Amino acid sequence: MDPHPAAARFEEAVRLRRRRLEDAASQGRKIIGYFCTYTPVEIIHACGFLPVRIWGGVGRAEKAYSLVPSFICPYMRLSLEGALNGEFSFLTGIVQGYTCDVACGLVNIWKDNFKMDLCHSLPLPYNDNQDARIFLRAGLHELAGKLTQIGKGFTDESLEGSLALYEEIRSILAWIFGRRADRGLHLTSAEVLNIVQAYFVTPPEEYLDMLKGLKDDLASAPVPTDCGIPVLISGSIIEDAQVLTLIEQIGFKVVADDLCTGQRGFTPVAGQGEGPMERLMDRIMKRFPCPSRSHPDERVPRLLDLIRSSRAKGVIFLFQKFCTPHLADHPKVSQALKDAGIPSILIEMDEAGLMEAQVTTRLETFYGMLE
Amino acid sequence: MDTNRKSTKRLSTAKDLAKVVAEYYLECHEAKASGKPVGWMPPMNGGIEIFYALGLQPVFPENWSPVCAAFGLTPANFEVSERMGYSRDLCGYLRNIVGYVHGDMNGPSVPLGGLPEPDMVMSFGGGCIPAMKIFQVMETRFPKAKVFRADAPQVAVEDIRDHHVAYAVSEMHRLIDFLEKTTGRKLDYERLKEVVELSDKACLLWDEIMSYRRFKPTPISAAEIGIMFVMVTRQGTQIAVDFLTRVRDEVRERAEAGIGVIEDEKVRLFWDNIPLWYNMGLFNYFEKMGGVMVAETYSAAWSLRLDPNNPIEALAKKSLMSYSLVSCLSIERRKEMVLKACRDFAIDGAVFHQNKSCVPITLGQADIRKALAHELGIPSITIDADHMDSRNFSFAQFQTRADAFMEMLLEKKH
Repeated sequence: MDPHPAAARFEEAVRLRRRRLEDAASQGRKIIGYFCTYTPVEIIHACGFLPVRIWGGVGRAEKAYSLVPSFICPYMRLSLEGALNGEFSFLTGIVQGYTCDVACGLVNIWKDNFKMDLCHSLPLPYNDNQDARIFLRAGLHELAGKLTQIGKGFTDESLEGSLALYEEIRSILAWIFGRRADRGLHLTSAEVLNIVQAYFVTPPEEYLDMLKGLKDDLASAPVPTDCGIPVLISGSIIEDAQVLTLIEQIGFKVVADDLCTGQRGFTPVAGQGEGPMERLMDRIMKRFPCPSRSHPDERVPRLLDLIRSSRAKGVIFLFQKFCTPHLADHPKVSQALKDAGIPSILIEMDEAGLMEAQVTTRLETFYGMLE
Repeated sequence: MDTNRKSTKRLSTAKDLAKVVAEYYLECHEAKASGKPVGWMPPMNGGIEIFYALGLQPVFPENWSPVCAAFGLTPANFEVSERMGYSRDLCGYLRNIVGYVHGDMNGPSVPLGGLPEPDMVMSFGGGCIPAMKIFQVMETRFPKAKVFRADAPQVAVEDIRDHHVAYAVSEMHRLIDFLEKTTGRKLDYERLKEVVELSDKACLLWDEIMSYRRFKPTPISAAEIGIMFVMVTRQGTQIAVDFLTRVRDEVRERAEAGIGVIEDEKVRLFWDNIPLWYNMGLFNYFEKMGGVMVAETYSAAWSLRLDPNNPIEALAKKSLMSYSLVSCLSIERRKEMVLKACRDFAIDGAVFHQNKSCVPITLGQADIRKALAHELGIPSITIDADHMDSRNFSFAQFQTRADAFMEMLLEKKH
């Protein structure tokens, strides 16, 4: 499939992200980094900051090993490598919604090694009940208070505005994911990844305009005729579009995903409740669950629904090497898929170039099974 | 190959530990046989005191893993869990207990009779991810057990605020409600106060015992750290207080008499991270060259105070602090603790166990090492190993590094 012209702006946003963010910072824009999509970006934005998901990128870590062991995920290793190379000098601070142990540790390591105005880890409740929401609300207000000290004031109105902006973004992304599941999307999965990655590094106002333009283009585009074996991708973060290109070159077609760089990170579009804080909390509590925050028994039915609704014929688990939450759930989740008659395969991704041949062989074998 | 070595203990009370361990597991089996409800739970939280106050039997699957390592059961357990699809990159506690519960749990070859099956599973979020995942597996493995899903804020000790405590307190009340409804027992708050007081006494004794490490020569070393078994399984009981009192008395007597772990203590060492449970003898390794492993970080999890007059809040705070004190939730606090211990105990060198089975404790070690070197001039080495899986440990590599380190420290002393 030829590259879609409307998707080029997103690819450019990703490619030029560092320079653009450095320019923004030099013009006085304060930028807060985060690792995990459970971080409440709406609060950060409502306090006048630009929230940016810290990237790991593609490459090899060297300097990072002076601070962390090799047995943590490549995303965390490479993002630290980037930080040690000055790649994130535009950051005013880091805020992280607690998800996995490694992200939590890395926030503290960044705090110890890089000068920033704020390093805050936000504990999130695992249960959803009245006390849990009281606790979450207090935590969000504490965060807003800290951000206010180094940014602008936080009000219900500013949060309302941020919520509306992000909800609109998520609703268009949901539309794109829906088209993909309906086989009506004229984009490769690498292009879809670029669209998502651009979201993490672009001011949301600008990103919404880009998305609206894309939606118009896609709505009028002809329904694609090319097809492959429809699969769902499940895992945490994917940054290297090459692996997705490889998957589609082999003959698969990604029709759905369970990724934080995909559908999972944007589902649901909005929460319910009276007032912006209640809606924000409701969405956090009702997120399509990541294994770091949930029981596989809660994830499996939702995953099966997604597989059925997208008519995927198989699942490719694409895990970051050493990712404990996903690896720990995998035996149970893959067994549940097997019981439901859905074949799956597990691919672990390490730093660039470390496992390419193995990945190709395994994917080709899986294709042969499904063909 | 020098694995599966037991440590050499010098305290007679520490040698009594085997009896304490056996009695605990016997009690667990007797509880099951007599119909007393058995609950499986994670360690280092306030649930244990609630259990003992209600006359219920707590069992700690995480604690069972070191027992498996000591008895050489881990390879078989790993084989089971790996066959089920659990990756070798996962924490060894998780792989061991998952393998254990899906294998020959109470077979004749299992020491101490194994673990009695749970009537209740205290599943939870709030510690490390592998611990949470362990209990999720237990829920499935024991479908008849009643499940309580607990929650605790993951927050650095220095960042604990009122709303964290309030949520932890509400979780304590929810746990009590669940246990009362499930078992039909009623919590006597006066009894709970007594239990919390015993727990506090155990913590005080713990700190007192650890403080004798300031003596030169040290009367107690990390080789005796197995005594923490009572802090994990017996907190809130007279058994823990009595045992620790005996340990304290012996340690005090040895300190006052100037009796050290070894006769000629030349170098005082510090250990960071969980011990190698399958090779506790490593703590004695340095002794042939005059080195004593005086202290370690893991014991800090029980360096707490509990207010018996406010037992629920005390237990809530314990639940908030214990994990934070030993994990990457609070690298700043860990750094302070390590530096203080190294100052107080006149440490000459530190050994950092880069532990493939415990990322939360391993993360931050590089920062702590730097601080030790820059602020106190204390050198350190890193050894690559795993607290459960001996396949991730090379004794030869350890030996090379440890010997060179000791030579350097001895040279520095002269």
